[in-house]
Amino acid sequence: MCRPSAAFIATMLLLVGLIHAQAPSPSELPDGPMQAKATTACTECHEARIIVQQRLSKPAWTKEVDKMVKWGAVVETQDHDPLVDYLSSNFPVDKAGYIAGRSRGSASAPKK
Amino acid sequence: MFSRRDFLRATTGAALAASVSASRFSWAADAGRLAIPGKEDLIIRSYRFLDLETPVEYFDTWLTPVQHFFVRNHMHEPSTLDASTWKLSVGGEVEKPYTITLAELSKLEAHSVVNTLECAGNGRAFHSPKVPGVQWQKGAVGTGRFSGSRLRTLLERAGVKTTGKHVMFRGLDEVPGKVPPFIRSIPIEKAMDADTLVATHLNGAPLPKHNGFPARAMVPGWIGAASCKWLTEIKVLEKEFDGNFMTPGYRMPNQPIRPGDAVKPEDTHPLTALNVKSLITAPLDGSIQPARSLEIKGVAWAGEAEVTKVEISTDGGTSWQAAELGKDRARYAWRMFSYKGKVPSAGEFTILSRATDNQGRVQPVSPVWNPSGYLNNAIDQVKINVQA
Repeated sequence: MCRPSAAFIATMLLLVGLIHAQAPSPSELPDGPMQAKATTACTECHEARIIVQQRLSKPAWTKEVDKMVKWGAVVETQDHDPLVDYLSSNFPVDKAGYIAGRSRGSASAPKK
Repeated sequence: MFSRRDFLRATTGAALAASVSASRFSWAADAGRLAIPGKEDLIIRSYRFLDLETPVEYFDTWLTPVQHFFVRNHMHEPSTLDASTWKLSVGGEVEKPYTITLAELSKLEAHSVVNTLECAGNGRAFHSPKVPGVQWQKGAVGTGRFSGSRLRTLLERAGVKTTGKHVMFRGLDEVPGKVPPFIRSIPIEKAMDADTLVATHLNGAPLPKHNGFPARAMVPGWIGAASCKWLTEIKVLEKEFDGNFMTPGYRMPNQPIRPGDAVKPEDTHPLTALNVKSLITAPLDGSIQPARSLEIKGVAWAGEAEVTKVEISTDGGTSWQAAELGKDRARYAWRMFSYKGKVPSAGEFTILSRATDNQGRVQPVSPVWNPSGYLNNAIDQVKINVQA
């Protein structure tokens, strides 16, 4: 039975590591007709991560969008309702919770 | 993170660093993780603006290490902070307005306060129904030794007029779009308290940028939002500051309301002191325990009040036993606690902690729902699996 060489294992680990490092960021907004609008309207001021962790009803999303428009988010009138639909369908109350990652540690491994 | 410029610099660096760490085979733990200067292994609730939560396992010391101290930003951090040119103005309803440099501030009488600083939204993620905002779970809290000058020393130097009833703080936060600036005020009585500071140091070192360098307000026992960072202006006012982060922000309904109900602004009051609260820091939620004997550890705090008792339940709340409180204590600081117990068998158990303070306040069984998810101080719980 052939055993993979240490070099092969190292190469595969490196590839897996690079793929992992280059995987889409959990903070990106999901596909959809309003993805581009949400990106320009929202992420000018804050990143997508703050959106994807919310779990809100449609009325609550409407209230958030209206607040952000008041605070400078550029959302044309015809985009308002589709944007609320996009947010409330992608991040509804019954969706599983967002799992946040951690920042880099000094010693790589968690303390405990 | 930080400022827009810092954000671009850091994200470019993070991508490069991820590749480098992958080539060193340390990727399993760290590849893809964002590097945040001065902070280590914190939960990223948001990167821009920077909002970082401390995992509870780091609450195993009375003072929270600076690199693990949580960060709550409402805006972008200041692009430039130069200690040599930084100035703080003191004005408003005072006889002699003035500005003071960092060098001058450091010559004033120093005072230190060990304070448990907690974001009002800590625990927001556990409200049901969910409410908008940063979805903090347990670790938007930390205890630090904050040092600097007493705020009242600065105010007395200016001579507060009898019309001065509130003290406003303005930071150097960079405001995006038309977002209202992060400005808040506290009543003059709290501002003149001997333990309210303009803090320049945390745990003996200059404040890190993320925690408010070169100076921040430190209003002990109160919600974190009272302690504005990157302080640049102190202004004495006749009335409470009128701005978004005083109204409608950081207010609680005067009466309990049903989840989902709206509340009128006139039926609310501003948040001030923290509630009584405890956290279990060991064993960790979801952990597998090899033995039926357990040592349960945690921290408990009560804002301006004193924690008098922490009780532990290992049977889901049927019975409660007193935990031992740690020796380290200070007026506004949490007490560590520990309890050694034994569960009767292998299997799944829910461990609960419940703190009581000297005002007779006890942690509630479930969060008191409010539209912004503030002050969740419900009894803490962790689920463990005992395998022996």
